[in-house]
Amino acid sequence: MVQRGLKGGQLRLLTRKEARDIHLASLEVLEDVGMRSPSEKILGVFEEAGAEIDRKDRRVKIPQHLVEESLRKAPKEIVFCGRNPKHDLLLEDGRIYFGLGGTPVPYIRDVETGEIRRPTKKDMADATRVGDALPNIKFIMSIAGAFDVPYQAEYLHEFEVLFNNTEKPILYSCPGTYAAQKVLEMASTIVGGRDELKKKPILTLYAETVTPLAFSPTNENVIEFAKAGVPFTNGPMPMLGGTAPMTLSGAGVVSNAENLATLTLSQLVNPHAPVIYTCWATAMDPVTSRCSYGAPEFALGTSVLNATMANYYGLPSYGFGGCSDSKLPDAQAGAEVMMNSIMAGLCGVNLIHDCGYLAGGSIGSIEMAVICNEIIGMVSRIVKGIEVNDETLAVDVIRTVGPEGHFMSQKHTLKHLETELFFPKLFDRTSEVTWAKAGKKDVRDIAKEKAKKILKEHFPEPLPKDVQRQLAQTVKEVEKELLKKG
Amino acid sequence: MGQEAIFDELVNAVLSFDSDKVVETTKKALAQGVDPVKIIEDGLAKALRIVGKKFEDGEYFLMHLVAAAEPVQKTIKELLEPEVVKRKGQRKTLGKVVLGTVAGDIHDIGKTIVGALLFAAGFEVFDIGKDVPTEQFVHKAKEVNADIVGASALLSTSLPMQHEIVKACEAEGIRNKVKLMFGGAPVTEEWVREIGGDGYAENAVEAVKVAKKLLKIQD
Repeated sequence: MVQRGLKGGQLRLLTRKEARDIHLASLEVLEDVGMRSPSEKILGVFEEAGAEIDRKDRRVKIPQHLVEESLRKAPKEIVFCGRNPKHDLLLEDGRIYFGLGGTPVPYIRDVETGEIRRPTKKDMADATRVGDALPNIKFIMSIAGAFDVPYQAEYLHEFEVLFNNTEKPILYSCPGTYAAQKVLEMASTIVGGRDELKKKPILTLYAETVTPLAFSPTNENVIEFAKAGVPFTNGPMPMLGGTAPMTLSGAGVVSNAENLATLTLSQLVNPHAPVIYTCWATAMDPVTSRCSYGAPEFALGTSVLNATMANYYGLPSYGFGGCSDSKLPDAQAGAEVMMNSIMAGLCGVNLIHDCGYLAGGSIGSIEMAVICNEIIGMVSRIVKGIEVNDETLAVDVIRTVGPEGHFMSQKHTLKHLETELFFPKLFDRTSEVTWAKAGKKDVRDIAKEKAKKILKEHFPEPLPKDVQRQLAQTVKEVEKELLKKG
Repeated sequence: MGQEAIFDELVNAVLSFDSDKVVETTKKALAQGVDPVKIIEDGLAKALRIVGKKFEDGEYFLMHLVAAAEPVQKTIKELLEPEVVKRKGQRKTLGKVVLGTVAGDIHDIGKTIVGALLFAAGFEVFDIGKDVPTEQFVHKAKEVNADIVGASALLSTSLPMQHEIVKACEAEGIRNKVKLMFGGAPVTEEWVREIGGDGYAENAVEAVKVAKKLLKIQD
């Protein structure tokens, strides 16, 4: 049974007219400035559709009618599947789902020692299992890259880890044509063929154009996924005052233009190919040059702009929450995570990723992912909001109890108790005395205990042995092939 | 029908949190000639013990404790106690507890829950209400020959009244006869020690354990 997530989208900081302004500005940019593409394959698709190509500058200027037609063709509703159908997610109209991590992270905070070190394939498997176990995590990416395998084949190894260690939907990268084909082959092996994969997409591709306004050869993976009818999303991260104008709306125009270009590419390759939309503007810290995941502008740029434009186009969306610039799962991390998660939730971004990201995506933390799970619970309660009707107004109950009475034993109380309140699973509400007796624990310690318990106990349903073998074989072949290329 | 069935029915009535059902089932049991003391012990009190256990296990919440306790207390007072008196019966008791909220304080929900669970555990509970003057705690304790006096305070301003109760018990010469238990949000173990009390518990389930410990009753 497909999950119909809680509907966000209550927070609308931009008007429909403002969305239209961003849309029109983006069309102007695509038609006048266009996109650069070192990839002949990508230029070829646009050329065939009648776009103006400047081969010398490797630039394609995309006429607005191509974009508008493509927007009409892209599906407005996508079911993003897990290999276990109980994890299938309906992506539409502000329904929110949070996901573990993002693209591979160069460091992991060791859950046992707290040491910050290079992650391995095993770390990624562990992190994936934790994501698979956490109930508020609905799709899986990564909070640890596989740094103990040849870098040329890293993504294939990582896909192997993901396929083996979670039954939830997987969103991940695989750059270029060859890797994309191989990953699609692996996914087909799991679900039983290409046609099955189209019906039951257990993965979504995460592509990234090069901001500002350029395709990269790696984006040829979009063509492969579009052809296969498997969803993809393009997530360029324009940084204010760096790779984009200093203003949020200007950066939104750059981001939107790149995403409309990619969406158009996919619809030209295969009309009605599923696309998950993004419009992200991010903040470059003007002192360190790092992209700040904890910045308020990041939350505005990746949630408000994103959900506004996705809503304007009626497309499923992909954004950020659960990430921080802090190096520890500390107060800064808690504040930043709550801010970006609640913004994404209230704006109604469909797929909200990066739970467990610290140091602006440089460090992955399993404890932080466990803390994120709790914060998502709180965010979901806020997004659920306040229900007002005769039953909830409860005038009859108020009449029965009367002045100076109490409501504890009312049937109405017991009826609504468990749906009206959020029940913390991790955060501590006990008295100072009980807390002291229990060892004066920091929430980090409790999260760590919980993470270790999950790692000891939770193992998702393994893939059939022959499928496991086939996946491993594919990875081995790809590795050999890619190492030959160097 | 065997009596076991009616006891199960009583327990289920309490666990359904339906006041009417508790009254009805109790009437039915009485009509069947079941001993009112057994109705309490093997039916209603047993149900409250189950609720207390479920609260301890995190399955039930405070509201469930109150929603179970209120109909039970009402039924006992209105239906069963008169019957017990009429039949000159008596419930076996672990001890007598005088319970109230201190003077200047009207918060009585917590105290009432403690009373219900003490009752369920087998204590005889004399709930003397809220905003109770200090001398009344002492008076009632003397009158019923109490084993324990319990006083609740929810305000930092009413907290000192617990100390007054200790002093009054000393002045009236009953301090060595009664154990003094104190509770309430601002109360801590240190505070109870400081004012010379005997027992502190953070919640109702804990309070039953402390009361038993004070009277050296084995579980």
